[in-house]
Amino acid sequence: MFQSIEEVGEKLGEQSYVSDRRLATVVFLATRLGKPVLVEGPAGVGKTELAKSLAGALELDLIRLQCYEGLDEAKALYEWEYSKQLLYTQVLREKIGETLAPAESLREAAEVLRGQEDVFFSENFLVERPILQAIQADEPTVLLIDEIDRADEEFEAFLLEFLSDYQVSIPEIGTVRAARPPVVILTSNRTRELSEALKRRCLHLQIGYPSSEVELEIVRLKAPGISGALSEELVETIQDLRTLDLRKAPSIGETLDWAQSLVVLNAPKLSKDLIESTISVIAKYDRDAQRMLDHLGVNARERKDLGQMEPTGEKPEEAMYEMHRSVHKHVH
Amino acid sequence: MDTVVNDFVQVLRNHQLRVSPAESIDALRALEHTGLRERGVVKDTLRATLIKNQEDAGTFDRLFDLYFSMRPAVQKPSARLKLAHDHDHGPPPARLELGEEAGGEAPEDEGHSHDTDESTEMRRFFEEDRMRPANDIHGESERMRLSMFSQELVLNRKPGALESALQRLTYHMRLRRSRNMFNPGGLVPDAGGEELPLDVSAVDLQDFVDHLHELEVDEALIAELEAQSENILRGLPDLIKQMQEREKLLEKDAKDDAAFRRRALRKMLRFSAAEQREMEASIRRIARNIQGAKTRRLKRDRIGRISVPHTLRQNVRYDGVPFEPVLRRRRENKPRVTLLCDVSLSTRNLARFWLHLVYQMQSLFSKVRTFVFVADVAEVTQVFEEHDMNRAVEEIFSGRILDADVNSDFGKAAERFKNEHLPTINHRTTIVILGDGRNNGKPPNVEALEEITRHARRTVWITPEPRWGWSLGSCDMPLYKPLCDRVEVVRDVDGLAHVAEELVRSRA
Ligand SMILES: Nc1ncnc2c1ncn2[C@@H]1O[C@H](COP(=O)(O)OP(=O)(O)O)[C@@H](O)[C@H]1O
Ligand SMILES: [Mg+2]
Repeated sequence: MFQSIEEVGEKLGEQSYVSDRRLATVVFLATRLGKPVLVEGPAGVGKTELAKSLAGALELDLIRLQCYEGLDEAKALYEWEYSKQLLYTQVLREKIGETLAPAESLREAAEVLRGQEDVFFSENFLVERPILQAIQADEPTVLLIDEIDRADEEFEAFLLEFLSDYQVSIPEIGTVRAARPPVVILTSNRTRELSEALKRRCLHLQIGYPSSEVELEIVRLKAPGISGALSEELVETIQDLRTLDLRKAPSIGETLDWAQSLVVLNAPKLSKDLIESTISVIAKYDRDAQRMLDHLGVNARERKDLGQMEPTGEKPEEAMYEMHRSVHKHVH
Repeated sequence: MDTVVNDFVQVLRNHQLRVSPAESIDALRALEHTGLRERGVVKDTLRATLIKNQEDAGTFDRLFDLYFSMRPAVQKPSARLKLAHDHDHGPPPARLELGEEAGGEAPEDEGHSHDTDESTEMRRFFEEDRMRPANDIHGESERMRLSMFSQELVLNRKPGALESALQRLTYHMRLRRSRNMFNPGGLVPDAGGEELPLDVSAVDLQDFVDHLHELEVDEALIAELEAQSENILRGLPDLIKQMQEREKLLEKDAKDDAAFRRRALRKMLRFSAAEQREMEASIRRIARNIQGAKTRRLKRDRIGRISVPHTLRQNVRYDGVPFEPVLRRRRENKPRVTLLCDVSLSTRNLARFWLHLVYQMQSLFSKVRTFVFVADVAEVTQVFEEHDMNRAVEEIFSGRILDADVNSDFGKAAERFKNEHLPTINHRTTIVILGDGRNNGKPPNVEALEEITRHARRTVWITPEPRWGWSLGSCDMPLYKPLCDRVEVVRDVDGLAHVAEELVRSRA
């Protein structure tokens, strides 16, 4: 548990996570009030990283639930292994005979059986998924419910009980309540609006693109090979590019990738040539790349070799293309 | 602090920002952890707890800055504590500078220039009008409770110290409230014989004391207050004269004030659909806990009372075939609860929750009778049964059932209850009183409560006010406490839920 807002900042800093006071305040309150935090903001601004760093700072385990369309209780909470249970019961059948042998009457036998009830219906057959893991854990954990906006609205509704009481109802067992409530971080890239009910249960933290100072600090921490002058130039450029009207503005992830590429290329400074040959690291779409280059006054010569296609949203291959991109880029 | 946050929330709502009651409670809880020292932290805290849509952040920032407006850093920050400027009459004006040294920026001091008289009014020591923001963000009212918070922002949290200061202060002033709260001359010095025709209603004084009481003041200010209590006393006649003049001027306004309060109260009690959903969700949560407790209790009961073991024992001679079932009469253990709920202004923060809880309890227990009181008392069991929650609350505050706009007078309400409703309770009844035990100077009538509790099985009193506050103002809790089996200080929904659950567990 953090003693002060300042301590939050310091401890996150030790995890190489750069924070401002607002973020530290919200995190502090989350741990004090035992309330979940909903972190919203564009991709790549450190939402996921916050949960990881927080776990590190608190020296707690991180349990992560990555949301996706179609995610349901069975994958988020628990699954019941009926087949295993059946098998178990069959194996036990003989044993049951032995147990019941001394019983004089049917009534007595029934009593004896009742005493053994939990053998048949126990948590042995329960497969814990992230949320139940977090509830059942002996120590508090940090539970990251990542990209909740990707899950369906029903799933959001399902989360409500858990988020208000840190408990869930399991028909076969009853209500399970966390003895040591987890610190819950939900993230959303805001691809859709979340329900008011969910938001009401959470503290809200909006993260935007960082200021130059913060971003420089992040680069310094996360891409240590880069020289001071170059990283300043790079951050300045990135900050400048974010003012453009882009389909996908470069985020911190891109900044770090770019810094890394420059380190690999052993670049002393950000020349126009260098920008042109590495623009694909920070631009996701061809149109964006073009705008960036125009803006930076880099003469667009042949840009076919950039390997960028402008997705039109019409062809199915594009989805594949997107997937491919996101695989070899930073996983946000 | 509650008042200020609630008021600020109201401002947000007036600007179409949706804030649920649960969220304002979160904000209050959160501020307890962050403290009020740093304005930026307070802002972030309110924002994280109250604002959940990024689009609303801009409006929030603007309103926060306006509401808790502070002087620009260039200007000399100061919050004045002034006394009568009539130098002939008393000591020079006491003046207290609060500023950076007090740990924060100082409150806005607007209006000071055009209204110097104001600073002589006692209430204005901490009052807000001098610190009114540039625009009227309420859009409807002049009266805003905003400086309290600004003050709090610069002051430390020292409730204990404040208490002692106030005690000293009231002791020095030896003020006692008259019977009639609304008459001029409501203040009479206890000792000294000379009656002061102090034309300040006790309601206003109560407001002042309440405000002081909500405020968490630092040592320096307390010392200053103490040092000045003598001066304040000496300055009283002058103060009175000015107040009388002022009152005359403000007579019309004063009426508006009452109307405004009523309006504010009504607004507070009106629920939007979203709020209601939220409220119902919290209440359902409470209900779940209560019901959980209830089923546990029933299971245990069953073991105690079921006839099966007796039947078996009885029927051993028939080889266990139950020819003669043993029927044990089930002892009546349905909880009988009589709820007495204060619905006056001073408890308005919780009154809403109370009424909701009461409503819920009525549907959970079969034997609940519910009464509301202010100075009068009325049974509303029927009202709750016949209407949905919102309608019922509306009905209660409609004025048809009782006058909810007067000051609460538990003494009188208890008397009425004793005379008219005593037969409704018996040795199985648990009486739950929800109120703050503030009689506004009227007789506490301990005897009536004693009589009532003698007839009941148990008496539980739920008050929103922490114990240290009881000795301030006109709180009669210390007198009532010994008559109760339990007194619970409950300041939020969770606390209420806890008490409710306890009630059920102990079989009411
Ligand atoms: N405040 C920060 N401090 C340190 N690293 C950061 C910060 N914000 C973002 N990053 C880095 O940026 C990258 C993207 O962050 P990530 O958490 O995946 O973004 P998001 O979850 O918001 O899409 C990660 O490599 C992360 O380490
Ligand atoms: Mg992420």
